Amino acid sequence: MEVYENTLNLAMQIQVLSMNKYLIEYAINSILRQKSKNIFIFIVFTLLIFLLTSIFFITNSIKYELNSTVNSLPQIIVQNYKGGRHYDIEISKVDKILSISGVQESVARVWGYYYFENADVHFTLVGIDMFENQYKKSLTHLTQISSFDESSMYLGRGVKKLMYKNYYKNYFNFIKPNGTVKKIDIAGVFNSDIELESNDMIVMSKENLREIFALKENMATDIVVKVSNPNEIDTIALKIKEIIPTARVITNEDIKVSYEHLFNYKSGIFLALFIISLFTFFIIIYDKASGLSSEEKHEVGILKAIGWRVEDILQEKFYESFIISFFSYLLGVIFAFAFVYLFEAPLIRDIFIGYSNLKPSFSLSFIMDFQTLFLVFLLSVPIYIASIIIPSWRVATLDADEVIR
Amino acid sequence: MITFKNVTKTYEINTNNIIQAVENIDITFKEGEVILLKGASGSGKSSILSLIAALSKPTSGEVIVDSKKISKLSDNFASIYRRDNIGFIFQKYNLIPTLSVKDNILLPLVPLNLKADDVEIKLNTVMQKFSIFHKKDIIVKNLSGGEQQRVAIARSYINEPKIILADEPTANLDKKLSEKFIEIMKELKEMNKTIIIATHDPLFFGLEFIDREIEMSDGKIIV
Repeated sequence: MEVYENTLNLAMQIQVLSMNKYLIEYAINSILRQKSKNIFIFIVFTLLIFLLTSIFFITNSIKYELNSTVNSLPQIIVQNYKGGRHYDIEISKVDKILSISGVQESVARVWGYYYFENADVHFTLVGIDMFENQYKKSLTHLTQISSFDESSMYLGRGVKKLMYKNYYKNYFNFIKPNGTVKKIDIAGVFNSDIELESNDMIVMSKENLREIFALKENMATDIVVKVSNPNEIDTIALKIKEIIPTARVITNEDIKVSYEHLFNYKSGIFLALFIISLFTFFIIIYDKASGLSSEEKHEVGILKAIGWRVEDILQEKFYESFIISFFSYLLGVIFAFAFVYLFEAPLIRDIFIGYSNLKPSFSLSFIMDFQTLFLVFLLSVPIYIASIIIPSWRVATLDADEVIR
Repeated sequence: MITFKNVTKTYEINTNNIIQAVENIDITFKEGEVILLKGASGSGKSSILSLIAALSKPTSGEVIVDSKKISKLSDNFASIYRRDNIGFIFQKYNLIPTLSVKDNILLPLVPLNLKADDVEIKLNTVMQKFSIFHKKDIIVKNLSGGEQQRVAIARSYINEPKIILADEPTANLDKKLSEKFIEIMKELKEMNKTIIIATHDPLFFGLEFIDREIEMSDGKIIV
C-alpha cells in the first residue's frame, strides 16, 4: 500500500510539472465565463501597472538627467552679488582667482536667458570661446567640431523645433536691450546626452552674446573655477571669498544639494501617486484574498467531487490568475513605455520641467532598468496569483461534500 | 465490493448542534449489484453515498472498497479514487451552468491530460449513448431538467467507473423523464456496474432490475 502511494505520489508530482493543455483551456474558459468581472480586474490591474511603471520610468530618466547634469557642473562658480541680486562680474577677478594656489583654471562665462515671446519660453544663451577650456563636457564636445562657425549659433533640439515652428529656419533675430535687432544664422543642432541641460540651450560666440546682452568687454556673467585636487574645493572656495568679499561662491556640492532638494520635492508628488496606486492594488488583493464567491466555492466543490485533486484545482487557478496578471503586467509596461518614451509623459513631465527649459520639446532619456521592471513584476503578479491561490486552497482542502452542501 | 464496518458519521453544525447522519452501519454491497436506498429526507441515504465516494470521511468505523480502506485515504488519493472508480449523479446535478454540454462532460478527464484523439472518441461515445450529442455546444443552463440530468449521467460515465451513485436522481424530473432514467440504469446494470440509488421516489420501488432495497431511518438501516 505504501509503495503504491509513493509511486502514485511521484507520478503526481511529475504530472504537476508538465503543462496540461486541457487545464490551460479550462482556465481560459473560466476567465471568459466571468467576462465582465475579469475585464474590470484586467483594466484596473493594467492601469495600476501602467501608473507604477510610468512613475518608475520617469523617475529613472530624471535621476539620470540630474546626475549627468550635476556631474558636468563646474567645481566652483563665482558670482558678483549686490543687494541680494546677481550682477555681472569683472573679468579682472579671473587673474586674482588664478593667483590662489591649487586653482588649475579660472574661466569667465558669458551666458543668460532670452525670452522668446512668440512661444512664451526662455532660451538659455551660452557664449563659448574656441580657445578656452570648456567647463561643461557638452560644450567641449561642441568646440571640437572643426567647422564651428563663430558668426552663427548652435541650437538645442527643443530650441530648434520651436524656432522651426515659428518659421525661423535659417536665422533668428535677437532683440538687444537698446531695441535694435541682432541677426544670427543657425549653424546646426547642438547634440548632448543630457537633454535636461541642453534642450533649451543656444550656443554662440562670446562676442555675439555680449552684443545681445549689451555686456561690456571687461565684464562676464560669472567665473567658473577648476581646482587640481577635488578634496580642496571647500578650502579654495573660502580663499576666493577672502580675496573677493562681495562674491558669492557656489561649489558643485551646493548645487547638487539644491538639485536634490528640488528633485525630492517633485518626486514627492510621484511618491504620493505611487502610494495611491499601491493602496488601490492592495484593496483589490485584500478583496480577492478574503474569500471566493459562493459560485466559485461551489465550482471548486464540484471539481473535487468528480475527481480533481487539490493540485489540479490550484494549477488551474494558477493559470487563470497568471494569464490575467501577466498580460495586465505586460500591457501596463508597454503602455507606460509608450506613454513615457514615445509620448513623453504628457501632463506628468511638466512637473519636472521648470522655468529655464522648453516645455514642449523636452524628451526623457531612455533608461531600461530591468530591476525596476522586475520590482513592479514582484509587486504585482505573484501577489495577485497568491490572492487567488490561497482562498482556492482553503476551499479545495475542505471535504467536497461540505462545499457542495 | 463495498463494505461498511460499524460506520458512524456526525456533522457538527456548531457546538450545540451535532447531527448524527449515520449510526453504526454494517453493510456490504456486491459488485454488479443494483441497490435502492430508501427513506425519508434526513434518514442518512445521501451520507452513505458521500462516504462511498470518499466525499466525506466517517467519524468512526471503516469504509472498504475492493479491499482498500477509502476512509483512510488522504485528500489527494481520495480524489484519484473518485476519478478512477466513482460516477456520481447528484440530486441537483452539480453541473457548471456556464459551461457547454461538451465541456461539462469532459471535466473528469481534464486533469488526466489525455491525447486529444482519445478524448474525442470517449466524448462522442458517451454523448451518443446518453442522447445528448445534438446539444453538445449548448450552454448547460439553457437545457431542460431532463437534458441536464443526461449531461450529469454522461459526466459520471465518461471515466468508465465501476460504481455509479445516484442521489435522488428523479427529484426534479417528471414521470416520463424518470422512466427514461430507469431505462438508462438498466443499461448500466447490463454493463456490470455497481449502482446505488438513494431515493424516496415510489417509482423505483419493486422494480425487477433492482437487486436489493434497503430502508433507512434516523441514520440506521431498518430493513
